[in-house]
Amino acid sequence: MSVGFIGAGQLAFALARGFTAAGVLAAHKITASSPDTDLPTVSRLRKMGVNFTVSNKDTVKTSDVLFLAVKPPIIPFILEEVGPDIEARHIVVSCAAGVTISSIEKKLSTFCPTPKVIRCMTNTPVIVREGATVYATGTHADVEDGKLLEQLMASVGFCTEVEEDLIDAVTGLSGSGPAYAFTALDALADGGVKMGLPRRLAVRLGAQALLGAAKMLLESEQHPGQLKDNVCSPGGATIHALHFLESGGFRSLLINAVEASCIRTRELQHLADQEKISPAAIKKTLLDKVKLESPSLSVASASKVSLFTNKSKKN
Amino acid sequence: GVAGGAWPRVAMEASELWVGFVGAGRMAGGLVRGLLQAGKVPASNVLASAPSDKNLDAWRELGCRTTHCNLEVVHRSTLVFLATKPHILPGVLEEIRPAVGSHHIVVSLVAGVTIQTLQRLLPPWTKVLRIMPNLPCVVQAGAMVFSRGSNAGDEEAALLKSLLSSCGLCEEVPESYIDIHTGLSGSGVAYVYLFAEALAEGAVKMGMPGALASRIAAQTLLGAAKMLLETGEHPAKLRGDVCTPGGTTIYALHQLEKGALRATVMDAVEAATNRACDMAKD
Repeated sequence: MSVGFIGAGQLAFALARGFTAAGVLAAHKITASSPDTDLPTVSRLRKMGVNFTVSNKDTVKTSDVLFLAVKPPIIPFILEEVGPDIEARHIVVSCAAGVTISSIEKKLSTFCPTPKVIRCMTNTPVIVREGATVYATGTHADVEDGKLLEQLMASVGFCTEVEEDLIDAVTGLSGSGPAYAFTALDALADGGVKMGLPRRLAVRLGAQALLGAAKMLLESEQHPGQLKDNVCSPGGATIHALHFLESGGFRSLLINAVEASCIRTRELQHLADQEKISPAAIKKTLLDKVKLESPSLSVASASKVSLFTNKSKKN
Repeated sequence: GVAGGAWPRVAMEASELWVGFVGAGRMAGGLVRGLLQAGKVPASNVLASAPSDKNLDAWRELGCRTTHCNLEVVHRSTLVFLATKPHILPGVLEEIRPAVGSHHIVVSLVAGVTIQTLQRLLPPWTKVLRIMPNLPCVVQAGAMVFSRGSNAGDEEAALLKSLLSSCGLCEEVPESYIDIHTGLSGSGVAYVYLFAEALAEGAVKMGMPGALASRIAAQTLLGAAKMLLETGEHPAKLRGDVCTPGGTTIYALHQLEKGALRATVMDAVEAATNRACDMAKD
């Protein structure tokens, strides 16, 4: 089985790295393409032994499973470009936040009557094979196609099938989740440093504490509330600390965060459906390509909304 | 909690027990109702004293005997409950001290008065216990904790627990927990009333008549508490069980979390506990 990535950025790199480390795929069975050869991930992919090309069409031709690993606003252009090369045998997997199966199927149907499309939402820890992935199968994707993807993604973490309408919520929770965790870890480390720990040790201990807690929860039948209680001896240090967290509305902040990310994902989807894209959202090289290949699209008059930020690798 | 084979042999049969109350206010009334309803002690074995008849009428209606003489209560009872207001107690103890013997079991319900103080004001041989009940004892759904003084042993503790379980939950604890119990459950009852009022108010805002809303609010609290007690499940789990994805409950809980309700409640328990400690020092 050959796997291809349209896009050679963080997501392609993370998945390629994960698959090869898991041993489910040899590097030479993986192809990645991007017009931008300056991306730091490009050289890393090459070093891994992954086939790199600037031609998206080449990637499609040599792949059975094709990951669309580009930012959501780029998806329509990619589909236009590679559409003619998509065959019924291909399994097209979109990892783009907020991009619906129906929008992809619609675009591809002008080229291929029964495109197999699967939508997935994963996260960056696939790179260390602790990803969290969900997927929903499109109209023409069979059960076996879903299972094939599931096998691939299960090699790099947790993977399960869901109804498509839950994917935005998953984005908010586990898609963005690592960012919440990194923020928390940074702050925990600050707390450690404030109380006298060297930074490196503080980071190491904080990360291990979260890792250990997550592992305990995953392996336990108990409710996280119960696990929390188990750590809180009466009148002790931990309960004092928790009181501070509660006073700061810690829980509600996390709920707000998941909600905001989910809602934003839906907004992006809505904007994408209307095909409003700001020039800033598209890199210069691709912008030129776009002007050449899709003269019908009006880029100059697009909305002012910035559809992605540099920080967000997923969206 | 009925005294049975598991407990240390109780010094006396409950039916032979002569129970006295110095002070006949609400809390004492709640306890005696529990004792009588559970059939622990016949009413004729109960003697209560109070300065005026105002409270004592209700006791007589229950079949208890009454007096205005505190010494009489001590002379005629083995188990003596002290249920006066805190500022009255020292005077009362001075009064009854001469009549207190080693056969007596003295149980103080008086808020903020430590075992150390009680033992200081009573003869050195006195078996002293201190109990902190809460208001719902009056409907036999109370939460009580008690601690024993130096001369009170397993038999006395077992007797008290056996008698008072008729009024609700009754647990022995180290004395240091008593102020915490005040913050949690003594005052805690008021927090629940506040919460019930707010629930009902929310319903009224949404269009429900107040009386109905209040009844439903109370029943909701009762039902939830009953489930907690009977299932033994962690409250977080029970909470999760009610929350269907994207449903009404999780939306509402988010509002509660935004308002930092948890921290506020923790603050309340802490404030009441600290206040109880401070008052005990006075």
